[in-house]
Amino acid sequence: MLRSVSYWLGRSIESPALNALDLISAVTQLIYVLIFISVALGAVRQPTRAHSDMALFFGAVAFLILASRVAALVGTPPPWLTTVEIAVLMALPYVLLRLVDDFTHVRSAIKRVAELGLAAGIVATYATAPALPTPVILYVVLYFFAVSIYCASAFIRSARRSRGVTRRRMEAISLGSILLGTDILIAGLTPLAGPDDRAVLQALGQLLGLGSGVAYYLGFAPPAILRRAWQEPELRAFLARAASLPRLPATLDIVRELERGAANSTGTTARIGLWQDDNSKLRFWGDDDTTTDLEPGKHFAGRAFELQRPIFSTDPIRDNPDGAMDYRSRNVGAVLAAPITAGERRLGVLTLSAERPPIFAGSDIELASLLADQAAVILESRALIDHAARVRAREEATRLKEDFLSAAAHDLKTPLTTVVAQAEFLERRATREPSAPADLAGIRRVVRESKRLAGLVGDLLDATRLEQGRLVGEREPVDIATLAQEVCSHDTSDLTLCEVEASAPVVGVYDRRRVEQLLQNLVENARKYSPEQTPITIKVWQEDGEARVSVEDFGIGIPAADLPRIFERFSRASNVDDRRFHGMGLGLFICRGIVEEHGGRIWVESEVGKGSTFHVALPIADGRRLN
Amino acid sequence: MKDLWAGGPPRGDAPPSSGVARQGTRGEGQQGTVLVVDDDTSILDTVTSILSGEGFDVVSASSGQEALDAVARKLPLLILLDMRMPVMDGWAVARALRGKGIRVPIIVMTAAESARRWADEVGAEGYLAKPFGLDELLATVERFRGTGGRAN
Repeated sequence: MLRSVSYWLGRSIESPALNALDLISAVTQLIYVLIFISVALGAVRQPTRAHSDMALFFGAVAFLILASRVAALVGTPPPWLTTVEIAVLMALPYVLLRLVDDFTHVRSAIKRVAELGLAAGIVATYATAPALPTPVILYVVLYFFAVSIYCASAFIRSARRSRGVTRRRMEAISLGSILLGTDILIAGLTPLAGPDDRAVLQALGQLLGLGSGVAYYLGFAPPAILRRAWQEPELRAFLARAASLPRLPATLDIVRELERGAANSTGTTARIGLWQDDNSKLRFWGDDDTTTDLEPGKHFAGRAFELQRPIFSTDPIRDNPDGAMDYRSRNVGAVLAAPITAGERRLGVLTLSAERPPIFAGSDIELASLLADQAAVILESRALIDHAARVRAREEATRLKEDFLSAAAHDLKTPLTTVVAQAEFLERRATREPSAPADLAGIRRVVRESKRLAGLVGDLLDATRLEQGRLVGEREPVDIATLAQEVCSHDTSDLTLCEVEASAPVVGVYDRRRVEQLLQNLVENARKYSPEQTPITIKVWQEDGEARVSVEDFGIGIPAADLPRIFERFSRASNVDDRRFHGMGLGLFICRGIVEEHGGRIWVESEVGKGSTFHVALPIADGRRLN
Repeated sequence: MKDLWAGGPPRGDAPPSSGVARQGTRGEGQQGTVLVVDDDTSILDTVTSILSGEGFDVVSASSGQEALDAVARKLPLLILLDMRMPVMDGWAVARALRGKGIRVPIIVMTAAESARRWADEVGAEGYLAKPFGLDELLATVERFRGTGGRAN
């Protein structure tokens, strides 16, 4: 009677002739024994509950196989063996249920029902043994089937929640459970069927047994090559995005993307901590941009970082009591931490946490290490990009400084040439011919060029003051409309037309001298880059509590690419021929300084070949008192 | 101020000895024309007035093109040439003269640090680094007085 229930395990006993079915049966048995050896080794290496439950399950199966072989050899098995066989067979579905409970939650009501069902089955079997009436057989078979199918569905649900290798393995196990349950069902029903159907059912049962064996083998003890193939899609998806990661604007963005990628690839919660050289701690970023610094050696992350190897815990509360509160609040049942290290450079640590311990710790540790290595490559290239950018910025700053010094020197030397040579010549003339009339033209040149020099030196001093944020001095009520009129009339000559459009006075509290300088600079700039006889228009008005000024010209314009830097120090538009237009590139820089120290804004609209319009907005009342 | 000139010795080893250059002189002992080229009118006026005051025959040009026109009208004894000018700069002027086979001695005037290199680039006889004083200017021009364009 027992033989029919354990048929799927010991078929060769009843038909000693070696045929195809026997071969399938032998292969199936071999597979189950191999799985047992594999999971038993795994349980010895990593004695977790999941591993021992796997070993228990396949140990039970292997025992039944060996027992049936022994029984076949001795002819009539001893009664005690049969009794143990029954107990082990009946316990199988329950062990499978325990296994399910190891990585997904099984409601306690279901566990109780399964336990009651198991107890009832054992009692019924022993009470009626060895006759075993059909209802008892049916009960046992249906119990076995129901639990298997429940387990299969639980594995499927769990597979949906997980990723990568784990998902594939869960799917294989659920398939194995379905096949196993169906096989038991068929094996149980075979004796009840007619002689013709029996052969068919036997053949079907053999095939289902083989199928479940193969599926369990793939799920519980997959060969390394298959594990790698299953990891590949996740890794590939991760790597596809990885290439673009180092160019994200901030390191934090990269960390976030890496965390997301690792979480998606493993079906866990992923956190990355980066080593901070300044305080020698690992820094983690929270969802709300808060940071937590962790000392190396503390918690799993700190330990993995210090030991430079992955650390895996299926009982984090026991293994790291310091973090117990956090693990409880986040419902963490398993933690995996892997160091992120590029060569000799320890960059940080990757931590994966899950509600349940991953049943396949080996694969998950492997995947986490791969992801951590990938993160190291990405973070390291980011560091290189940052370094290169810093070097470039330094070189650019040096170049700008040299350009500036050279331009400043050139600009100062030009008026100085006239001042020195002309003054010396005036002196020689006066010494040689004291009575000769004064060389007025020469004197005027000296005066004019001296003033030009003074202006250049003033600009240099202003740029220095601006950098210290003390460009603007005493403030007083100033009517910008009147000021613009003064600047304009001063500038208007035979060569330029300067017009002011203002319908009413616009009075604010400003540093008069600086606002005048601002308007002068803008008008001079407009004139410098405009053809002769083209108008320059200054508009002054009030809008939204701000004094507004615009200076419009019809000059050469500014290329769009240069606009963002036009107000920076030493900046000049690329279409400005510096042999033609002298200047230190300080004018607009000083303008911006004046405007910003007044709490205002300055911007420009321009089109190459059409002209430029500079806009200024200054607060009318900025809350500051009159000095 | 003398030391400024020390950096740019006359290129006496390569005197402009072509017939064209000699044609430009008015004869033994006589002063030739000095052509002053600079886009900065203050410098142009200053140098022009100093040289005329010292008895030189001076022609001024405020652009590269004006300089070439002046040379075409009358070959000068010496050209004082500013390098940074709009449209046609000092290099272009020197190239245009060489292109026409005119080998008038050139003195480069520039405020740039690379005055000496630029002088070499255009095959000039020397340079005047701005700001130069009266003495340097006169000493430089004097060397060409009555030499038929040959620097001693």
